[in-house]
Amino acid sequence: MMEADKRTSSAADPREVGTQLRPGLWHAINERYPGSMIRKESFVPQARLRKPLGASRLTLISSCGVQLKTDQPLDVCHPFGDFRFQRVPSGGKHDDLIIHQLKYPRDDADLDINVIFPIERLQELSEEGRLGGLTPNFFSFIGYNMDPEKFERTVAEGIANAVVEEERAECALLAPA
Amino acid sequence: MPTVSVTVAREVTEAIKVPRALFLPWPMGHHFGVPFRRDLQRRVVLAALGLLESSEQPGTILDLPIKWADVRREAKTLPEQGRKL
Repeated sequence: MMEADKRTSSAADPREVGTQLRPGLWHAINERYPGSMIRKESFVPQARLRKPLGASRLTLISSCGVQLKTDQPLDVCHPFGDFRFQRVPSGGKHDDLIIHQLKYPRDDADLDINVIFPIERLQELSEEGRLGGLTPNFFSFIGYNMDPEKFERTVAEGIANAVVEEERAECALLAPA
Repeated sequence: MPTVSVTVAREVTEAIKVPRALFLPWPMGHHFGVPFRRDLQRRVVLAALGLLESSEQPGTILDLPIKWADVRREAKTLPEQGRKL
């Protein structure tokens, strides 16, 4: 047995022990796509809830590329990425939605969109009163892009403005796919 | 605005220094578990939302130590999986 094989076979399986499945991911992606990964020097300050969750309106924002089947598809083929975002009605169901993303395994999310975009679980929590409500729309975009500065100017600022000014969200669940 | 992230890539989340996050040792594309496990999906969502109320320090990352192997084993017993997969 080769030395590398011995190391592999003796290492604890992260699926069995509950540790990070793909360690070194930040460096691996940054090496493959230089400059594409963001590293911040200081923490984003913590905003606090002004009201209990049961009285707060929540939005969902994800890089998973989920959208209505009836909307124009996001561009999964552009080499620099698609710097647009989609509004997804928060009352949507699995059968209304489709994923346009190539950068993560979608097999399970194609069977049940809640695996990556828990829209129906949030609808249930809102109906139960665990949340004060949902914004009319949730937000989705393709996480893959090769220009972080342009991404911040376009997608991030666009979603932030929409969430505050149009949707009147009071808190947000972020699901980076 | 208060935000909470759900992540399966701890070091990426650490690099961008988010206010608060929930970490799951699961594969990409499976942040909320597996198909038709509503209870598990709900547990992840509630754990994340709980951080909106409980975390006090910027950069808080809470572990939800559910092993992926256990998730997959349990998923295979679901009748819905048998119908669709």
